Amino acid sequence: MLAIKNLTASVDGKEILRGVDLQVEPGEVHAIMGPNGSGKSTLAHILAGRDGYTVSSGEVRYLGEDLLQLEVEERAQKGLFLAMQYPVELPGVNNMSFLREAMNAMRKARGEPEIDTLSFMKQVKEKARQVKLDEKLLKRSVNAGFSGGEKKRNEILQMAMLEPKLAILDETDSGLDIDALRTVADGVNRLRSKERGMIVVTHYQRLLDYIHPDKVHVLANGRIVRSGGKDLALQLEARGYGWLLEEAAA
Amino acid sequence: MNPTLSDYKTQELQGIETLPMSSGDWMIDRRLAALQRFETLGFPDRRSEAWRYTSVEALLEQGFVAPAKAQQRDRDHEIQRHLLELAAVGRLVFIDGQFMAELSVYPSEGVRVTSLRAAMANGDRQVLEAVGSLSGLGDDGFAALNLAGFYDGAVIQIDPDIRLDAPMELLHLSTAGAEGRKLPTRQLILMGRGSKAELIERFVSEDRQSRYFNHQVVEISLAEQASLSHKRIQMESRQAYHLSDLHIALQSKAEYSGVMASMGGCWSRTFITNRFKQPDAHCELDGLYLVDDGQLADFHLDVDHQVPNCSSGETFKGILRGSGRAVFDGLIQVGKGAQKSEAHLHNANLMLSRQAEVDTKPQLMILADDVVCSHGTSVGQLDDQAIFYLRSRGLDEQQARALLCQGFLAEIVEKFEHQALIESLNNHMNFVVSTETESSHESVG
Repeated sequence: MLAIKNLTASVDGKEILRGVDLQVEPGEVHAIMGPNGSGKSTLAHILAGRDGYTVSSGEVRYLGEDLLQLEVEERAQKGLFLAMQYPVELPGVNNMSFLREAMNAMRKARGEPEIDTLSFMKQVKEKARQVKLDEKLLKRSVNAGFSGGEKKRNEILQMAMLEPKLAILDETDSGLDIDALRTVADGVNRLRSKERGMIVVTHYQRLLDYIHPDKVHVLANGRIVRSGGKDLALQLEARGYGWLLEEAAA
Repeated sequence: MNPTLSDYKTQELQGIETLPMSSGDWMIDRRLAALQRFETLGFPDRRSEAWRYTSVEALLEQGFVAPAKAQQRDRDHEIQRHLLELAAVGRLVFIDGQFMAELSVYPSEGVRVTSLRAAMANGDRQVLEAVGSLSGLGDDGFAALNLAGFYDGAVIQIDPDIRLDAPMELLHLSTAGAEGRKLPTRQLILMGRGSKAELIERFVSEDRQSRYFNHQVVEISLAEQASLSHKRIQMESRQAYHLSDLHIALQSKAEYSGVMASMGGCWSRTFITNRFKQPDAHCELDGLYLVDDGQLADFHLDVDHQVPNCSSGETFKGILRGSGRAVFDGLIQVGKGAQKSEAHLHNANLMLSRQAEVDTKPQLMILADDVVCSHGTSVGQLDDQAIFYLRSRGLDEQQARALLCQGFLAEIVEKFEHQALIESLNNHMNFVVSTETESSHESVG
C-alpha cells in the first residue's frame, strides 16, 4: 500500500533523507528505529505532508497514487494518519466537536452522509474509555493543558475514531510512563487488522515490547541501514546503535 | 461640506421643539445647557488622546439629521423574524430609536419601565432628573449633543431584592426609515439593593445597507449587593455608524459583568467608564470585535479604582480581516486609597490579512502599593502548525482556519451563555465564507 523509493529530502538546504526505500503492505506493522537526528521524524512528516521539506528525488506511492502530489487533507481523507510526537494545543476548539468535524470531513470525502449524533457519542465515549482518556477531556479544548500522556491518548483516540488505512506513529512513546505506554500500545494493538498498515517510529525498543512489529528498520544518517524482524530490535536494545553506524560507515 | 457647529445647534433647537413639552421649561433648560456645552466642546479630533486613532470626519460628512417625528406603526409581524429563542422575562422593543410600548412586555412586579418619551409627555420630573446623573455632559461633545437631542429611551428600575431569574431583552431595531438619520437615545438602569438581573441588548438592522447613526448613552447604577449581567451585541448594517457611551457606578458589593460584541456597522465605537463608589464591588468587562473591509471597531475602557478592595477584569479579543481596523484603549487607574485592588486587562488580536490594522493600548496607572494588577496585549496570526494539525485530520484549509478563528473567540462567545445568542454570533461571523476571500487576498499579496 505504501512504496517509498530512493527518497531524498532536505530542510533549509541540509540533506536529511538520503535515499530511503520502504515498502509497507496491508496488515503489516513496521517499526522504524534509529538514533536522534537520523531522519525518522522527517520521514513521518513528509508522508503526512507537512511543509518546510524539499524532496529532491525519489517517489512515494500510496494506494497507487503519487502521495507527494496530494494535499495534506487529501492524504488524511485517503486514510493516512499521523499520530504526532508533539500534538498541537488548540485553545477554544472543543475536542469533541473537532473529532466530529474531522470524521465528517472524511465521510464527506468518501461521499457518505454525516455521522448522526447518537452513534458518534456512543463511539467516542467507548473509545475514550478504551484509551483511558478522561471523559472530561472530551469537553475541553483540544490538547490545551493536557499532560504529555493525555495528549498521546488523545492522538490514539483520534486514530481509533478515524480508522485510517495507514497509521504512522511518530515517537508516540516519548515522555510516557509505563502505564501510559501500555494503554497507548493496547490502543494501537486493538487497531491492528488485515487491512491496516502501520509504521511505528521510535527511538527506544521498549514500545516494541507491547507492539510487536512484523519488520524492524534502522534509519541512520538518512538511510535505512538494516532491516530485519523483531530480533533486530532486541539486538539494538542490547548493543545500541553504534555498531550499526560503524558498519554502515565502513 | 460638513455642517458647522451652528448648523448642528440650529438643527438641535428645531429638534427640541418637536419633543413633548409637558416636562416644562426645566427640561428645555437642561437641553439648552447641554447644547451650550456642545458648542463649547465641539466635536473631538485626533488631538484628543481618546480620539487619537478614530476619526469622526467620516461620521460628520454623512450629515445625519434629527429623527423624523414619531409615527404610529404596526410592525408586529416584521419584528418576529428578529427575535431569538430566549426564555426572557421581558422584552423592550425600540424601532429607529423609538420605544414601542405595544411591542414591549415586562414583569409587573418589582420592575418599573418608563419610556423617556412618556416621561417627557407626562412631565415626570423624578425620572427625567435621573437622566444624565452618571454621564454628565461628557468632554467630547457627543454626550452633550445626546442630552440636548435625545428623543426617547427607557428607564428601567429594579426594586430592592427583586431577583429576576431570566433575562430582559432590549431589541434595538433599525428600519429603512432610519436612513440618513441620527438616533440619539438613552437608557438608564437603576438597580436596587440586593437585586439581580440580566439584560440583553441587541442592535440589528432590517435593511443590511441602511445608513444611519445610532447614538446610545447608557447609565447603569447598582446599589449595594446588586448584580447585573449585561450582554450587548452590535450587528447593525454595514453602512451604520454606532456610538455607545456606557457609564457604570457600583456601590458596595455590587457586581457588574458586561460582555460586548461589535460586528456590524462601518464605524462603531463603545466607550465604557466604571466607577467604584464603595469597596468590595466587582466589575467584569469582556468583549469581541470582528472587522472586515471598510469597518472600524473601537473600544475605550476607563475603569477607576479609588476605593479599596474592588476587583475588575477585562478581556477583549478581536479578529481583523481585509482592510478592517480596530482600536482598543483600556485604562485602569488605581488610586492611592484603593489598596487590595485587583485588576486585570488583556487584549488579543488575530490578524487575517496584511491590510488590517489595530491600535491597541492597555494602560495601568497604579498609585497604591498593595494591589494585584496585570495587563497584556497580543497581535498575532493563525498558527501554521495548528492549521497543519487540523488538515492532517482531514479538514480543508478553510475549515481549519474557520475552526481556529472560532476557537480564538470562544472564551468570549461563551460568556453570552444563551445558546440562541451564541448561535446568532457564530452565524454572523461566518468564518468559512470570509476565510475563502482571505486566501485570495493572500495570493495577491
